[in-house]
Amino acid sequence: MVLNRVVEGAKRLVSPDRPTTSGDPLLDQLRGALTADRVHLDGVQRSLLSHDASVFEGGVAGPVCYPTSVDEVVAIMKIADEHGRAVVPRGAGTGLAGGAIPLGAPIVVAMTKMNRILDLDIDNRIVWVQPGVINLDLTRYLRPLGYHFAPDPSSQQVCTIGGNVANNSGGPHCLAYGVTNAHVVAIEAVVPSGDVLALGGLDAEPLGFDLRGIFVGSEGTLGIATKVAVTITKNPPSVRTLLLSFDSVRDAANTVSGVIAAGVVPAAMEVMDAKITAAVEHYVGAGYPLDAEAVLLAEVDGSEAGIDIDADRIADVGREHNATEVRFAKSEDERALLWKGRKTAFGAIAQIAPDYYLHDTVVPRSKLADVLEEVYAIAERHDLLVMNVFHAGDGNLHPLLIFDGREPGVLARVHAAGDEIISASLAAGGVLSGEHGIGVEKQKFMDDMFSHADLDHQNRLRRAFDPTCRANPGKVLPMGHSCADIQALRRVPSGVWG
Amino acid sequence: MDLRLDPDDLNSCVQCGLCLPHCPTFRVTGEESKSPRGRIALMRAVQDEDAPITTEVVDAFATCVQCRGCEPACPSGVPYGHLMEQTRETLADAGVLTPKWQRLAFKPLASPTMLNVGSKALAIAQRARLVPKRLGISATVPLRQPSLDASGQDVHLFTGCIMDAWQRDIHLAVKRVVEAGGIGVMPTGDTAPCCGALHTHAGLTGESRRLADRMIDALDDGKPILVDSAGCGAAMKDYGHLLGTPEAEAFASRVYDIAEWLAGSDEDLPTAKPLDIRVAIQDPCHLRHVQRVHQATRTVLRPYVRELVELDDDGLCCGAGGAYSVLQPELAGQIRDRKLDVITATKPDVVVSANPGCSMYLSPELDRHGIETIHPMQLIDRALNGLG
Repeated sequence: MVLNRVVEGAKRLVSPDRPTTSGDPLLDQLRGALTADRVHLDGVQRSLLSHDASVFEGGVAGPVCYPTSVDEVVAIMKIADEHGRAVVPRGAGTGLAGGAIPLGAPIVVAMTKMNRILDLDIDNRIVWVQPGVINLDLTRYLRPLGYHFAPDPSSQQVCTIGGNVANNSGGPHCLAYGVTNAHVVAIEAVVPSGDVLALGGLDAEPLGFDLRGIFVGSEGTLGIATKVAVTITKNPPSVRTLLLSFDSVRDAANTVSGVIAAGVVPAAMEVMDAKITAAVEHYVGAGYPLDAEAVLLAEVDGSEAGIDIDADRIADVGREHNATEVRFAKSEDERALLWKGRKTAFGAIAQIAPDYYLHDTVVPRSKLADVLEEVYAIAERHDLLVMNVFHAGDGNLHPLLIFDGREPGVLARVHAAGDEIISASLAAGGVLSGEHGIGVEKQKFMDDMFSHADLDHQNRLRRAFDPTCRANPGKVLPMGHSCADIQALRRVPSGVWG
Repeated sequence: MDLRLDPDDLNSCVQCGLCLPHCPTFRVTGEESKSPRGRIALMRAVQDEDAPITTEVVDAFATCVQCRGCEPACPSGVPYGHLMEQTRETLADAGVLTPKWQRLAFKPLASPTMLNVGSKALAIAQRARLVPKRLGISATVPLRQPSLDASGQDVHLFTGCIMDAWQRDIHLAVKRVVEAGGIGVMPTGDTAPCCGALHTHAGLTGESRRLADRMIDALDDGKPILVDSAGCGAAMKDYGHLLGTPEAEAFASRVYDIAEWLAGSDEDLPTAKPLDIRVAIQDPCHLRHVQRVHQATRTVLRPYVRELVELDDDGLCCGAGGAYSVLQPELAGQIRDRKLDVITATKPDVVVSANPGCSMYLSPELDRHGIETIHPMQLIDRALNGLG
């Protein structure tokens, strides 16, 4: 199989990115196209924009640009093309797979200043937004109208719609409502050549290939979205939230598959084990039980007439699986506090140790209990603390390995345990990522997941958008199937702080 | 450079980014260097990796409003406020932050005589239209102050520096409200001239410690100390941390925000006909995010007005930030514009704010929308005294 590394007609191969100096014409051109105060080359901006919420270290941001319009993004792409530079788009920097970290010294394009809600078509339930709009701000904007944006990642109070599109983000309530892909109808995107593409459309049944669907979840490797049309969802008339306690994680996991098997599709089903529950409860004080080995937070919504039936069925299934307590949230405040606890779980970890490594595999629901037991065993073998909090309804596991990075040798153990967790999930028929994306984190496992032919075709598809391999290179597709040229220079020499 | 930050405090940040939308400077700029996560990363870079203190590093620290809106948002409980205070102290000691003119400008705060003379001069200058707008002094300073006398010995009312010189009418209203509950009030006046909050924000912590010592000595009778300025109350409640002594801890435990004290008091205030107005509550950051007693304002105020409305911005800062609006006028203005949009959207008759800095900063703008800005206790005073 010939790898499609050099595309015919491409102007040049991408050279490894080099640090930009202040006299570089690239900088002058960028400043001319944007404004001087929105193109930065100082050590502060470059260093800060070299990290996201993950533990991964890559290179260092080259020039940092903050565009405010599609025209400016086009200009950045064209200038980058002229100079053979890679471009890494960035939202709020809450990614956990290193998707937004620079490799080499690419131009980093921070989309946070493109944060306007552009147009609301309430009849067709569509909103056009700029990619820098914060997920929860959109829902907050829609609240007086009785609508919301359904994908609700745990980071929804800070993550951007552009980031949601890039990662095809999920969230607790995506069990019933579907992940980001189900809520994006059209995208305006700028590809590395500087061309502006209209992907998808507002028609219910758009003709042709679903290029919109290819762009969603592409992690910035096809281009930069500059405008997104999303569907909005009517707020449910009624909601019931239940909290079930169990003496074992196995019982909680089996309840989850039991509920789905019983024909109920709740709006959300989330499981937390005892250790994470304790950390969360310490922060929110929501009344989570501290004596249970696992808790299941379930929510059903819909019309008042039907939801009690569903809620009772969930409670019954729980009791069949030895639930020690079944509690209903009695007020909107209590419900909000329970969810706040679940959604801030990852951040609450620092109460226990300063670092964590969060995994994101998906396994068939029926295998949840077995894989979880294996996860605990793997952590024990590597002498690591593990906590489990996960979108149980989707079978999306989020084992958290907790450690103190200052301890010598601990990172090697964390990575070894992580690799085993991923292998165990794949062996159970699972997939690499539920919602955090592949980024730089799971690239090396892509070969376990896909055949060479698969990966080669994915790479060809990607090159159709990005023939010179300048859109967030070195991410998603593993080396050998992607832009390996860029990967040659993973680190920039120290001294960029100057 | 050793910023003298506690390594455990610094390490408690896991970079999750949940603080970002709760930071007013990130909200208006979208820039990581103007976010709590970014600033903590810079503190680490300076302290752990010896990164040079460039203009950009100083700017990242200097643009923090110190509203501490990031703290309640942080699931890891990072003590951001203390980290930033320590950073500024170290940088001010090194002569990097807080220039001489600013240190001089803070001098009168601790000296009632200087403050009175200065305020009178400012009041006259304002009336002669000699005060340039760019100085950022948005309040009109009164020429004369009514007297504020003790009415008993049950509680102290902390009167402070600028607030006593410029907004004594608020103290008078607070005093009447407390007295309506049958309590005798001792205004602290010149015995405890300043809480030191502005000094701490500017990194002049040595001066804050001297002021705190002086206040603890002056108010050593064990009686409750009521504070009607959220910023001062937050600073005084933090004296235990500032001085690290049991006496300071004990003193701090006697400090109450005025609404907090009224809400917790056994004595009910008299009832009165509610004022026929729609009131928006603007929580001062140091009441909501630092003291975390902002609900008390609602509890106490609710019986006296027709309608209370909440602002839909999670208590984001208004940009005043003590001296911030003077030191960083451009960012402060952008932050204030956001707040004004949120306030006007609720269409209130009156906005209440329990912090003099916020109300002085907001009122000239809100006046233009025909919205009055006032301390919550002044509304209760109006209701109790039939002034509605």
